[in-house]
Amino acid sequence: MKNLTSISVVALVAAGALWFTTREEPKTDAAVYESLQQCLADVNMVRSDCEKNYAAAKQQHASVAPKFATQRECEEEFGAARCEKAPQTTSTGSSMFMPLMMGYMMGSVIGGRGYGNGQPLYRTRANPGTFRTADNKSAGRTVGRTKVAKSSTTRPTAKSSTRSRGGFGSLGRRFGSAAT
Amino acid sequence: MKRNPVRERQGLAGAAARHEFDFRPGEGIPFWDETAFYQFSTSQIEDDLVAPAEEIENLCYEVIARAMEDETVLQRMGVARFHWDLIADSWQNQERNLYGRMDFSYSGEGPAKLLEYNADTPTTLYESAVFQWEWLEEAVVEGLLPDSSDQFNEVHEKIVEAFSHMGIDSVLHLASNQEIEDDKGTLEYIGECANEAGLLTHVLAMEDIGINGDAQFTDLDDKQITTLFKLYPWEWILAEEFSANISASGTRFIEPAWRSILSNKGLLPVLWEMFEGHPNLLPAYFEDDPAADSLGETYVRKPLNGRQGANIEIFRDGRLEVSREGPYGDQSHILQAYCPLPEFDGAFPLIGCWMIASKAVGMGIREDKNLITGTEANFVPHVILD
Repeated sequence: MKNLTSISVVALVAAGALWFTTREEPKTDAAVYESLQQCLADVNMVRSDCEKNYAAAKQQHASVAPKFATQRECEEEFGAARCEKAPQTTSTGSSMFMPLMMGYMMGSVIGGRGYGNGQPLYRTRANPGTFRTADNKSAGRTVGRTKVAKSSTTRPTAKSSTRSRGGFGSLGRRFGSAAT
Repeated sequence: MKRNPVRERQGLAGAAARHEFDFRPGEGIPFWDETAFYQFSTSQIEDDLVAPAEEIENLCYEVIARAMEDETVLQRMGVARFHWDLIADSWQNQERNLYGRMDFSYSGEGPAKLLEYNADTPTTLYESAVFQWEWLEEAVVEGLLPDSSDQFNEVHEKIVEAFSHMGIDSVLHLASNQEIEDDKGTLEYIGECANEAGLLTHVLAMEDIGINGDAQFTDLDDKQITTLFKLYPWEWILAEEFSANISASGTRFIEPAWRSILSNKGLLPVLWEMFEGHPNLLPAYFEDDPAADSLGETYVRKPLNGRQGANIEIFRDGRLEVSREGPYGDQSHILQAYCPLPEFDGAFPLIGCWMIASKAVGMGIREDKNLITGTEANFVPHVILD
């Protein structure tokens, strides 16, 4: 039987395989900071954008960060003292571990000024200069206003304790509309 | 009750665009017909529909009370014993109901007769609550209707009000089969009503619901689903894998599980058995009940859990006169006395009376060319004008 941790680690590894593709992706405007203070200190940024997106990133962190069964496995990927205990547990009640949030990224809002869709960023042990999203997509090395691959700005997926899905919906697929 | 021809609003195309309905010049909006409207008197609405609907609602509560005492009720309705506690708990916890639609055969004269109660997943809600009302307002402005025209329609306001009294203190999740556009539309509308009542909402597909390590149901962000509005019938939910987790999940469902007793066609024979002779009820029996012989050779045969007219058969003098195909034919059936829908200009209107939080607050009329109202029926607006 699959448990959560095995699924998460597999997902992380699978995403890792994509790091080495060389295809040039379309870029989009974004802003990346290691901390809220760093964003507030940037004269190009508006305080409310810094704060709102930091709060959004911080709030997503526990849900979207990759999860590991042990501290050691997590640190192998993200570096010594760069992991923390996740608030979730596995289906059998064991602890899980996740990397520390090392920064956050926000995308520029289309058609207007300002930034939105804040999400947490991480740094791996193997490549500490590059920010990575929770879905292991590169967010570049630049702090401040930058351009990143468009695909890295999508909302990161949750990686916590849902064990299975799809236990509802089968009869809807068979019969169609629920209308009466 | 009259059927009056009327010209379409000049603004129909614009209205369709605003409400994101399909529109084709010359054909209008599919399943919406405003080239006629039904006219009722105030007393027809108040005495012949509102009062009986609310009385039947009370009789339905007596049916549920009986089902809590008498296990043959759920047995005859084909509910697996495994789920009886879930249904009973939802009733004992007084989980609140939101909406339902009683369908009546009514011609303007004599008592309206209850054909069925869609107490779990009724649709055509948006057409009834919003689009029909806007038609009335615009038709008055365009001079198509007198200024004194009114409509039996407080559906929207009452849904919003009901949501604000349901004691929902976190995000309301709403789920349906997201591949069915009509169901999605109804779900979105219900979500908008909840927003208007000040609730935060989150829409997802039934199949995307997950279970976490604490047996809670979760959304795609792994957030716990504490309250779930599901446009997805209880008889499907109870037959699916995750149903075994419902009690442990702590999730509150809208409609609550006890509504499955009312949306089951088995309600009709139980109502008749308990309140035989009630002027708004038709004689009805479970098919395997020998008493069904009293219907003679003219009756309507309905599966316990059919939808949109599917697998309904009308027998007259022992011969199958009208029927509809469908996927529900292998279920148990009930037989109901035949009370044909009235005919107006070659169409057969079915009165749907909206019950919001158990009060009759509005009406929608669907018109079919077939005596069994089905998926191709048109919604036709109505007016109260004395």
